[in-house]
Amino acid sequence: MREPVNVRSQPDLENASLIVGWQEDAGKLGPKVIDYLNKHIQGKSFCEIEPERFFPLGGVVIDNDIAQFPVSRFYAGTRKDLVIFDSSQPPHERYQFLKNILDVGEYYCKIKELYTVSGTIAPIAHTTPRRLMAVFNQAEFQRMLRGYELENMTWEGPPAINSFLLWLAQKRGIPGISLWPEVAFYLAATEDPKAVKSVLSFFNGKFDLGLDWTELDSQIKAQGEKLALLRRERPEIDKYIRTLEVGLSLNEEEQFKLAQGVTEFLERAADSHAGI
Amino acid sequence: MGIKFYKEPKLEKPDLICGWPGIGRIGIMAVDYLRRATAAQEMGEIEPWDFFEPQSVIIRDGLLKELEFPTNKFYYQRLGNKDMLLFIGEEQPSEGMRLYAAGEKAYRMANLVLDIAEKFGSQRVYTSGAAVTQTHHTLKPRVWAVPNSKDLIDEVRNYDNTILMSEIGERHGQGAISGLNGLLLGVARKRGMKALCLMGEIPYYLQASPWPYPQASISVLEVLTSILGTDIDIVPLDEMSKKIGESIEAFLGNLYEAEALPPQIRKEIRDSIEKMKYVRETPGPITDEDQKRIMDHIDEFFKKGGKGDERAS
Repeated sequence: MREPVNVRSQPDLENASLIVGWQEDAGKLGPKVIDYLNKHIQGKSFCEIEPERFFPLGGVVIDNDIAQFPVSRFYAGTRKDLVIFDSSQPPHERYQFLKNILDVGEYYCKIKELYTVSGTIAPIAHTTPRRLMAVFNQAEFQRMLRGYELENMTWEGPPAINSFLLWLAQKRGIPGISLWPEVAFYLAATEDPKAVKSVLSFFNGKFDLGLDWTELDSQIKAQGEKLALLRRERPEIDKYIRTLEVGLSLNEEEQFKLAQGVTEFLERAADSHAGI
Repeated sequence: MGIKFYKEPKLEKPDLICGWPGIGRIGIMAVDYLRRATAAQEMGEIEPWDFFEPQSVIIRDGLLKELEFPTNKFYYQRLGNKDMLLFIGEEQPSEGMRLYAAGEKAYRMANLVLDIAEKFGSQRVYTSGAAVTQTHHTLKPRVWAVPNSKDLIDEVRNYDNTILMSEIGERHGQGAISGLNGLLLGVARKRGMKALCLMGEIPYYLQASPWPYPQASISVLEVLTSILGTDIDIVPLDEMSKKIGESIEAFLGNLYEAEALPPQIRKEIRDSIEKMKYVRETPGPITDEDQKRIMDHIDEFFKKGGKGDERAS
């Protein structure tokens, strides 16, 4: 069996922070945030975790006509203080997989902090501001990040992979934070660019990235226009969204109808835009 | 991956007794009851994260407080002149979707448990679990005993209410023990350690039931306490067993009347189960094929919560 971690080159890093995002995420939050950051730092992959121990390799999954394959890669670029890890979530041997992430972070990248990003599905309207929820693994780190408009999360139940990673980092004494921006529930199956912007704004402030918002703002505007059109065409969708906008909740059936209506509409719009 | 000790007591050739969850929770209930009845003290645990997925996270006011895993703990106690080590695992390490221990992780776990047994000078290991068979829930469960060495056969013959595989119907001494109960026996044999698996009988029609089966745990406990030369109060377990017996009767009553099942199947199930009050396992009162067919219906009934056809209510 091959070594689980394949390091191709040693990145030039100083006091680096590791940012982890997962391909499978509500509102495509993880992949969008990671892509945006990677583009900004002109990230190049220098290391990857080999899939055979962690992913079923009995074939490939086809998504949107394209055969997929799990990749788990580390990227570094123009910023000496940032390392990015982009991966699918492993179904097997998660402890070993997460341990490998931290091994690379600690021994090759000498990371000083860990950041994870994942969307948290919320019963909110797409027109309302997204709260950025946070979970820390050290009280001291929590104190340090006061002033970034983060809201403390409280939760008891099944852990997400980010909580497992945060806990492992805690055991190693690596300060870490899981960022959980709210994703409007009816955008969970498509994209929520506002939620993406809420996380990127945090990173922009924390790392003084000077991000160019042009592309993301135009995506937010375009999605807002599409949804405004849908509201005009479908009064019941408009009624459900208005209910959320005034802070009331929908019953299960209404939630389902809203999510189904919005998802189908946005997917159709994306297909026609792509000329399919 | 490792073992964390809270204390390292000096023990004299302690018997190691292991319990894990399994059918009817027979093994783990017997060993955990023994732990409580003898006030055995916690002495250490196998660090779980390399074997198990975390089950729960506790986050308060933005701070990650705890990640909870299934525990795998060692306990010890001195019983008269005999020392005892207990190992109680809340889950069996497995790979993929298997219910019972299998694969590399299970093998590593078995070795870790035996490393501890050897460290404290154990020369004998007992595992405990369930023997699914054609018996009736009103009959006292026997204990099937499988040693990993010929030397133990004569000893096993002297235990009350205990039988060897060669004494069971047409098995001719053949069979299999799944999960850690079996694996530990094999790994102990590889190391030259004597080990014995004690399995309490459970009727085949209850193997998928949501209830524990304390009747069988009591039978296993009786053998274990006689080996250890100690007495424990089993009245609370006996009372629990009676209550579960009542639930089983109620369940079977519902099953025999369930409109979801064709009358012919209901009669067949009732006849085959009732027959087992009088005929134990051999010669088989029903064929394996009949048993499988009946189990399919009973499994379906359990999935519906044992309440029969909802459409009829």
